[in-house]
Parts: sequence; C-alpha cells; structure tokens
Amino acid sequence: MDMILAAMGDAFTWQALLAIVIGTWAGIVIGGLPGLGSVVGLTIFLPFTFGMDVITSMALLIGVYCGSVYGGSITAILINTPGTPQSAATTFDGYPMTQQGRVDEALGWATFASFFGGVLSCVLLIFCAPQLAKFAVNFGSIEVFALVCLAMLCIVGISRGSLLKGLVCGMMGFFFSMVGSDPITGADRFTFGSYALSSGLDLIPVVVGAFALSEVFIRFSARDEEAAAIPEARLRFPSLREIGRRLIELVRGSFIGSFVGALPGTGAAAAAFISYASAQKLSPRRANLGKGEPDGIIASESSNNAVTGSAFIPTLALGIPGDVVTAMMMGAMVIHGITPGVRLMVDQAQTVYALFVVLIIVNVAMLILSKPSIGLFRYLFKMPLGFVMGGIVMFSFIGAVSVRGNPLDLVVAALTGILAYVLRRGGYPLAPLVIGMVLGPALESSLRRGLLISRGDFLSFFTHSGIATTLFVLIGLFLIWTAVAGVLDWRSRMAACRQPVPSSSSRA
Amino acid sequence: MTSLRYSLAALALIGATHSAVAADNLDIIVPFAAGGATDIVARSFEPIFSQQLGVTSVVRNVAGASATVGTAEVANSEGNPNIIGYEPAGALSIQPSLKKLPYGSDSFTYICRTVSNPMFLMVSKSSDIESFKQLVEESQEYPFLYGSSGPGTLPHLAMAALTVNSDLKAEHVPYSGSGPAMNALAGNEIQIMADTETILENYDLRPLAVFADHRVEGYPDVPTMQELGLPALDFAVWQGVVAPKGISEERTQQYAEACKATVESDKFKAFADKAKADIAYLGPEDFEAFVQKRFAANKQVLKDAGLTP
Repeated sequence: MDMILAAMGDAFTWQALLAIVIGTWAGIVIGGLPGLGSVVGLTIFLPFTFGMDVITSMALLIGVYCGSVYGGSITAILINTPGTPQSAATTFDGYPMTQQGRVDEALGWATFASFFGGVLSCVLLIFCAPQLAKFAVNFGSIEVFALVCLAMLCIVGISRGSLLKGLVCGMMGFFFSMVGSDPITGADRFTFGSYALSSGLDLIPVVVGAFALSEVFIRFSARDEEAAAIPEARLRFPSLREIGRRLIELVRGSFIGSFVGALPGTGAAAAAFISYASAQKLSPRRANLGKGEPDGIIASESSNNAVTGSAFIPTLALGIPGDVVTAMMMGAMVIHGITPGVRLMVDQAQTVYALFVVLIIVNVAMLILSKPSIGLFRYLFKMPLGFVMGGIVMFSFIGAVSVRGNPLDLVVAALTGILAYVLRRGGYPLAPLVIGMVLGPALESSLRRGLLISRGDFLSFFTHSGIATTLFVLIGLFLIWTAVAGVLDWRSRMAACRQPVPSSSSRA
Repeated sequence: MTSLRYSLAALALIGATHSAVAADNLDIIVPFAAGGATDIVARSFEPIFSQQLGVTSVVRNVAGASATVGTAEVANSEGNPNIIGYEPAGALSIQPSLKKLPYGSDSFTYICRTVSNPMFLMVSKSSDIESFKQLVEESQEYPFLYGSSGPGTLPHLAMAALTVNSDLKAEHVPYSGSGPAMNALAGNEIQIMADTETILENYDLRPLAVFADHRVEGYPDVPTMQELGLPALDFAVWQGVVAPKGISEERTQQYAEACKATVESDKFKAFADKAKADIAYLGPEDFEAFVQKRFAANKQVLKDAGLTP
C-alpha cells in the first residue's frame, strides 16, 4: 500500500502531469495528421526525454503513444483517411456515418471507445500481467499462424459487393509485404536487382498512398464542391443508456485488443482488424456493419487503444517488447538506468506502479483533451479545400519518409496513391490491401517458422496445442457459416426473382 | 583533350577542397530505428563526441535491410568530412558476404571501436541441461532448435559455427529480433540461443559456454569453447564508428581522438555500466585490422554452414 501511495506521489508531480498533457495532446494531433503516426511521434519526443527523470519521460512517451492511437480515428472519420494504420478499420463505419451527417456521434463513439479500451487494458495490466504474460509465452508460432488466419478472414466480411475484388486487393497487399528480405533465409525477393528495394516496402508509405493520397485524388476528380466539402467536426458523447446498449461490444473489443497486444509482434493495427472481424460475426447489429454502424467504430477503436496498455505486459513481465513502440520505451528506460527484464516487477516495483498510474491518467487526459483537439481539426478543415488537401499531401510525404529516412518511400507513397485511385475507381475496396500488408508478414513468418518447428509437417499444426486446435476449429466454423449464409442468401434472392414483387428483406 | 584534362583537374580540385572543409554540423547515421539497442548507445555517445569535436551533431536513423541501408549511405558519401556512421558488427562484418551491397568491408575510413560484448551459449533456466556435454548428448536423439534475431545475424552465425565445429545437432529458427526469440525460448519453442550478457541477465537463462578466448569476468564457471575441446570460436557483439573513404588524415585523427575521449569519459562509462556494454576502444588501424579479420572469419563460417556458395 505504501508502495502504491509512493508511486502515486511519483506520478502526480507537476512535471509528470505537464508531460502527460503535452504528450497526449501532441500525440492526438500527430496521430490525426495523415502519415504521421505513433513511431514518428515518439521519434520526435524521444530526444527530449534524455534530460528528464524516468517517470516524466515515460509520462511524455506514453502520452504521445496513447494520444496518437486515438488521434488516428479523427481523420479516419472526417475524411476517410486514417491518421495511422491502427485506425484503418475505423473508416469502415466512421466515414459512412460522416456521410450520413452523424459525424458528432461517430467522433463521440470513437473517443469513448478509445478511453474505455485504454482503461480496461490498464486494469488488466495491473491485475493480470503475470498470467497474461504466461499465456502469451505459450502462444508460439503455430498459434500465431492460426490467429492470423482467423484475422485474414475479415477480408471476406469487408469486401461488400465483390468478394473477388476484395481478395484481389488482399493478395496485392500480401505481395507488397513480401518485397525485400526473406524473413527466414535473408535472401532478397522481388527486388529486381534494385538495392533500394531490398529493405522492402514499409507499411506507412503504402497506407498513406492507399488512403490519404487516393482520397485527395478522388476529391479533386469529383469536381463537386458539395460532395468534397469536409463536414464540421463536432463531438457528442454517447449517453449512458446508449453505452449500456453497446457495453458488450466495448468489452469484447477491449478484451481482444488487450489480448492481442500482449502477444509479441502483432500490434494495434492487427488487433483492430481481428476485433472488427469478430464484430462482423457477433454483433447483434452486424447486418449494418460497413454502412455506418457505431459497433464498427467501437470494435476498431476500443481494441486499438486496449493495445496501448497491454503492450506493456510482455515488456514489464518478461522484458520483451511487444512492438516497435514498446521497444522505444524500453530504450528510454535503459537510458535512465532501468533494465527491463524478468525481475523488473520485483526490483523496480515503485516505478512500475507509477507507470500504471501514468497510463490511467493519460487515458483520462485523452478523454478531456479530445474536445480541444477535435476543435483544432475543425479549425484546420475550415480552410479552403485546396489548402487542406495540399496540407494532407505534404504531411503524407513527410510521414512516409520520416519512418526510416529512405527516399524510396516517397516514390512508394506516390505510386500507391495512383494505384489506389485506379482501384477505387474500379470499385475495389482498399482495406483488404492494408490488411494483407499488416498481416502478411506475420502470416508468412509464423507459417514458415511453424514448419521449421514441426519439421515440415503441416498436419501437426492442427493438433499442436489446445489453443491452436481451438483457433483452427473457429476458422472452420467461420468458413462453414459464411458458405451457408451465402447459399441461403443466394436462394432467397432466387426466390425473390421468381416472385413478381421483390421482398425488401432479401439481404442476409 | 587538354581542355578535358584541365576540367578533370579542376573537378579533382573541387573535390579536394570539398573534402577538406569540415563544417560545424555533423551527421551521425544510425542504421537502426530510433530506440533500439544500438540507437541508445549511439545517442549516449553522440553528445559527448560532438562536444569533444566542437560541432553540432544530429543523429539520423536510416533503418532497413539488416542495417545495410544506413551503412550504404555512409559509404556513398565519399570525401564528405561531415558524416559518420555508428555501426553494428553485422552491417560491417557479415552482410557484405551475404548479399550484393553497394559497399564492402574496405569502403570506409575506420575510426574506432567503442564497445564489445562476448556472446554466451544459453539455454532456459527451466531446462534440465547443465553443461555443453549434456546438450550435445541430448541433441543426438532429437535435434534441438536454436533461435536468432534474424537470418545472417551474429546469434545465427555463432550457432552455425558451433554446429559445424562440434557434434551438437541443432537447427535454425530465425525471429524478428531478440525479443520474439526470447519469447519463443520461454515457451520452449526453441531451446538454445546465443547472445550477450544483457540478454542473459535480463531473462531466466543459463549460460553453458562463452564464445571468447578467455573466461569472462563475473562468470568464472562458464567455460570457453577451447576449454570444451572445440576450435577457438570467437563471437562478440561490437559497435564502432566509421567515416566515408577519402576524408583527410587530419580529420580521421580528430574523429579518433574525440572517440577515445568519449569512451573514456565518466559519463559514457556510467551509461555503459548501466546498459551492460563493455567499453573496448580500438583506434583507426587496430579497428580496421579487427574488422577485416572478423569479416574473413565470418565469411568462412557462412561458407562452412552452407549459407553462401
């Protein structure tokens, strides 16, 4: 108890609180600007932390991290351009809601779901970190392969209209992810002898091209000022009754995010897609998903912000960073003389508790700062459309090149933008492309590692462990479910064709 | 013809004057993303180094392709006295033999080696294997799996060399970094890993042997490979500073002196102690000889293990 009070004392200093406010606010704005995401934000702020004490520097970095994961949803909802790849799944329902004039409601749900996911994962981190870490350790390559297969099925659900077109884009994303070094042998693939390509295609330039640049092209080619205008961003929080009605969605999204975040090498973007896929099967309002249903925003935003808390589980319990962002935090800890590892919770208990307190304050700060941040975007988007679009193009390119300082990424962003424009004109959904790109590397390396471990026996994947078997059974059920629903849908449509008066409820 | 010769001479002169001018700004390339293990050391090294040199320096992270993209940028800046690279061992002594790169081990002006940590052969503490002999015996029935932080990294090479030179039967499973590999080791997906003291101390691991020519301080019971009756296997994770070719002798000396003063400063020593990095300074000539020796040795390992033709 004394320890917790002392930790509170560490966290409630004016330096730490100031760092939280600055970090969170900057994080929201950086996350909201297309192209600039969590990693860029942390890279900007990392050098400032060298002169601070450990709690203040953690407060600043955690603020930037959590803020940027939330901030990505603002532009995803307003202009169909996710500020960060983690918020790509928020566009599925967020933008349709904006088109229907429900932008205030969409932003309200995104903000509340982010807060809910963030806090719930903090609670899990505080009370169940050792247990969750133990579970994550048992999640080996074969289990990850099964989980990623399950998440890949989400492509089926979001390819409304044409499954074939969705699969084409998914495979294209998967292919993009294979360019560069082979994860197992290290040999160069699909580089056409070009050294610049041997480092592969980075996710950020592709996402920037696919969403931000293509959106700019679409708006300019529309030549329709009415349709291209950006609605005024306002924020309306859902009422308690509405929250109660969708509580189960919030809890499910947060748990999925917390769980995926605890696995090393997955991350918030993957968590959001997995959560969205589960909402497609389990939400009572699933028929409306993709047409402007708050459940879709909840699925995406609660899970991606839940990752922010649970990503610390492997870091704190085992000293293993869950993703790039926690790896950077670990680096900052090392600078301040704290070496993360299995004994961190014992040796540095007070610092760890202070970290928990900071995480919770950051989430509260995020909720409070959402209003002024959205106000800033409202002000920015009031400028003439040409300036706004020009600004988006500029930030997109800055973001694309600043991830790893490779000029090739500018070319990649521009070419992806043109490709995405052509694809959108042809009615191809772009989200599967990003899903393929996000999940492709995990799918490939976990499959090939699994084959190395099982000595080339793929059939033993199914019986490798209880977790793997359960996941594969779920995949089987999902496929049967989709096939049966497809047949039923086809039969009812056939029946509707034969009847002179078409029934309005033909959609399954 | 004469005009051509004159213009060539003029060009050479421009080149020469360019290379002679050392500006107040220095670019320090770190070929990894911000926040990684190498980046942290580089960022602690940078302020003291630039103070010694009397310049303003900027750390620039140019990541990708096993650190070769950033390293290539240094190599391609021939004659530029205002750029250096803070390099990991792999980019200088392994990658050039593995694939076609725009640089080789002789494309740099070597400045100094800063830190070096010997690698240990480790198993999980929860395993019942206590010695190298036992490890070899148990591997005969069913080969073990060893992890690495990626194909062609030092942990991979050290283990590849060990399996070639001993009776140990083990196969390679690469991961995307030491972290995921440690997760796999904790979950018993892999059983063996070769890495440094930092990893050894931070996780529940048991050292069986050290890849060095002498026993390491703090680990008096851990035998060297030679003591186990194997050929001398020497693998260490080191970092150093390189500059492009074609910079002046004077500039090289300036860099080397600043580097020596930096690693000997109390501030850097305190940091290195915390980060468990062993300071191991080598001057320009010694460092170049060291890299060339490691380069040749690693090339042989890659060949013996069948990783390169």
